[in-house]
Amino acid sequence: MEYTVAAVVAAVCVILLDRRLGTRVLRRREFWVFLAVMYGFKLIANGYLTWRPIVIYGREHFLGVRLGTIPLEDFVYGFALIGLSVVLWEYFRGRQARPAGRNSAPQADVGRAT
Amino acid sequence: MKSEYLIVLAAIVLFPAILSRDPKIGIRGNWKPLVKAMGITCALFWAWDIIATARGHWSFNPAYVLGVNVAGMPIEEWLFFVVVSFVSVFTWEATKYFMRRQ
Repeated sequence: MEYTVAAVVAAVCVILLDRRLGTRVLRRREFWVFLAVMYGFKLIANGYLTWRPIVIYGREHFLGVRLGTIPLEDFVYGFALIGLSVVLWEYFRGRQARPAGRNSAPQADVGRAT
Repeated sequence: MKSEYLIVLAAIVLFPAILSRDPKIGIRGNWKPLVKAMGITCALFWAWDIIATARGHWSFNPAYVLGVNVAGMPIEEWLFFVVVSFVSVFTWEATKYFMRRQ
């Protein structure tokens, strides 16, 4: 169940990063609407990839629970990937907009568990 | 068909790539933060993917990839993260735009 553990750890890291960077993306209502939209598209794309299958999962590395053909872990993994993209986007865009010298935000230290 | 994974990626990115040029979506003229956000996201997920693929968490059906591998992964898989991180930022900006209008 290495994939299960890795996906959960990654998702938690993204939640912590959002707090640490001060982006607070996850506190916005828009984020959850956005995530629902992304999951909608994900069902199609990820569904196709796992139905063909183009990507084949190692039996011993995930729980074996699937939504249709999609392993449950893929939704946690997707949250981490999608979440990291927009948290970093908001962070770098915010920093660009802020005047120089007022930059008290912590560095974009994306090292795990800092 | 060996190009199938690539076609899936193209289908995912096609409309976001076209629509992201719309100035109402906050991506145009913000290339620097976009490249930084996508770059870091890709780097971390590439690293994860190389390890996960090597450890057998998942594998790629040779019938549906072109067969060009880098560090044990098909090039389609490398492109996957470029596509998804971009589509994420686009959809996020589009969601904010439509919710602002309401």
